Amino acid sequence: MEELVNIFIKGVFIENMIFAYFLGMCSYLAVSKTVETGVGLGAAVIFVLGITVPINYLLENYLLKEGALSWLGARFSTMDLSFLSLIMFIAVVASMVQLVEMLVEKFSPQLYSSLGIFLPLIAVNCSILGGALFMQERQYSTIVEATSFALGSGVGWFLAIVGIAAIREKIRYSNVPRPLRGLGITFIITGLMGIGFMCFMGINI
Amino acid sequence: MDFLRKTLNKIKPHFSEGGKLEKLHPAYDAFETFLFVPDHTTSSKCHVRDSIDLKRTMGTIILALLPCLIFGCYNIGYQYYLQFDPGFISGNFFSFFNLFLYGLIKVTPMIIVSYGVGLSIEFAFAVFRGHQVNEGYLVTGMLIPLIFPIDCPLWIVALSVIFAVVIGKEVFGGTGMNILNPALLARGFAFFAYPTKLSGDKVWVSDGYTDAISGETALGELATLVKDNVPTEQVNNVLSNFSTEGSYSLMNSFLGFIPGSIGETSVLAVLIGASILLMTGLGSWRIMFSALLGGFFMASIFKLWGANPFMDLNPIHQLCIGGFMFAIVFMATDPVSAAQTNTGKLIYGFLCGFLGIMIRVFNPAYPEGIMLAILFMNVMAPLIDHYVVESSIKRRMNRINI
Repeated sequence: MEELVNIFIKGVFIENMIFAYFLGMCSYLAVSKTVETGVGLGAAVIFVLGITVPINYLLENYLLKEGALSWLGARFSTMDLSFLSLIMFIAVVASMVQLVEMLVEKFSPQLYSSLGIFLPLIAVNCSILGGALFMQERQYSTIVEATSFALGSGVGWFLAIVGIAAIREKIRYSNVPRPLRGLGITFIITGLMGIGFMCFMGINI
Repeated sequence: MDFLRKTLNKIKPHFSEGGKLEKLHPAYDAFETFLFVPDHTTSSKCHVRDSIDLKRTMGTIILALLPCLIFGCYNIGYQYYLQFDPGFISGNFFSFFNLFLYGLIKVTPMIIVSYGVGLSIEFAFAVFRGHQVNEGYLVTGMLIPLIFPIDCPLWIVALSVIFAVVIGKEVFGGTGMNILNPALLARGFAFFAYPTKLSGDKVWVSDGYTDAISGETALGELATLVKDNVPTEQVNNVLSNFSTEGSYSLMNSFLGFIPGSIGETSVLAVLIGASILLMTGLGSWRIMFSALLGGFFMASIFKLWGANPFMDLNPIHQLCIGGFMFAIVFMATDPVSAAQTNTGKLIYGFLCGFLGIMIRVFNPAYPEGIMLAILFMNVMAPLIDHYVVESSIKRRMNRINI
């Protein structure tokens, strides 16, 4: 249990997808103009990560990894299909995003229209595939650990986009120098937020 | 006085519209309003009449900082002479004035660098962008030296000031627009960019060179106990410093006779400053109170948990060491970067104190947790405000029943 909490907290604060790895920056920068859309996209990312990473974990451990196929019989125990992992992961992610898109369209048409193209683009959001690849690289021992990592990363991404959205709403009327208006100041805010998040670096619970 | 007024009047035409130095008008304006009450009147229709303006606000906050500065100077001298002769205080050999003077000589260059560099950037931006020079930097420029260790090289101070003023403030449009507290940003920048110059056991005592006494801060000492398998001897050794006779005893920590950043050591001086801020209404009591509560709450939880000697420290003592009190009184209450709504301030303050103590104990690499906690909460403050406003809108919408 302690280990699970540790992985979760690590995902949220210490190994934050945005501030530690700069993954998923495109939608993070584009959809963070208001808090509402930020919350919507953040929730979608949590959802997609929370589903795709466990599925990919099963794929990885029962299909792709070297020796993963041994449950089929001794003949397959040396087989290594890990060269297929990228394409398998992407297929899972893309289908899950399709599902999310249908759900959002059904239950919140307003959010659906405000997210626009960025909802289907979650499929190519680096943080989603990044979550699956980190899961593969870090070799979590159980599916529960992988899920807790996925949810942690999702919540971290959510926190980042909601935080920056609130700041961007606050500075909307600031007299920012002209060359920096828009994306420029957003990059600077992201950097400053990164300094804020550095306080958790190195914590080991 | 008359002479100044006359000189200003004489050169005024050069700076006003059509004059030779029209571009430098913000600089002239800053000097004029700094020296005299300006004769500008409000030209638009609606305005609030109040005897207090930004200049007076900043002046009062600097007044509130003075006890910390004076005690800081004294403490630098005290720590300096303590390293030669741990027993000198019983001999009462050095007068208060001597110690104070030594500290003052050490601190003045930092203050000059901080104000010089910061104000020149402010003036440059004001002239270049054509807005007024704001007084916001007066407080920041005083806070920055107070939160740096005394042996920190001046070029680091200058570099951090440049970073904090340009990236932290001016790119957002100057005073009142920044999202992070500029003074803390300067400290954070220096801390992450030059960790060896801002932590360890050499920088806290001026010209510290002897190993006879430990020049480490109380927090740094405690942080060594958090690692696994610390020998019992070392634990006892450190903890004896925190007993009533030790150098970091509760009394010493409260009065401030411990190594640390220049202004942060004395809780007593901070409390005097806090009372000035509270009486004049410039600091938010909500933030101070809830931050204190949050810190005390977390420290009490740690005390009950007691997994290592750091956690086991008495909660009151925990709050007295390090920069906790200084930060919650002067940093967390920064009206620009803190939460703006009343409920938001309570939440913001509580989390500042809570996280500050938590990071300090959990993260041995960053003993000064409160600085980072406030930076983190500055980032989150707009979000807190957003949801406080949203919830109050929702509540009122329910009331009108549409």
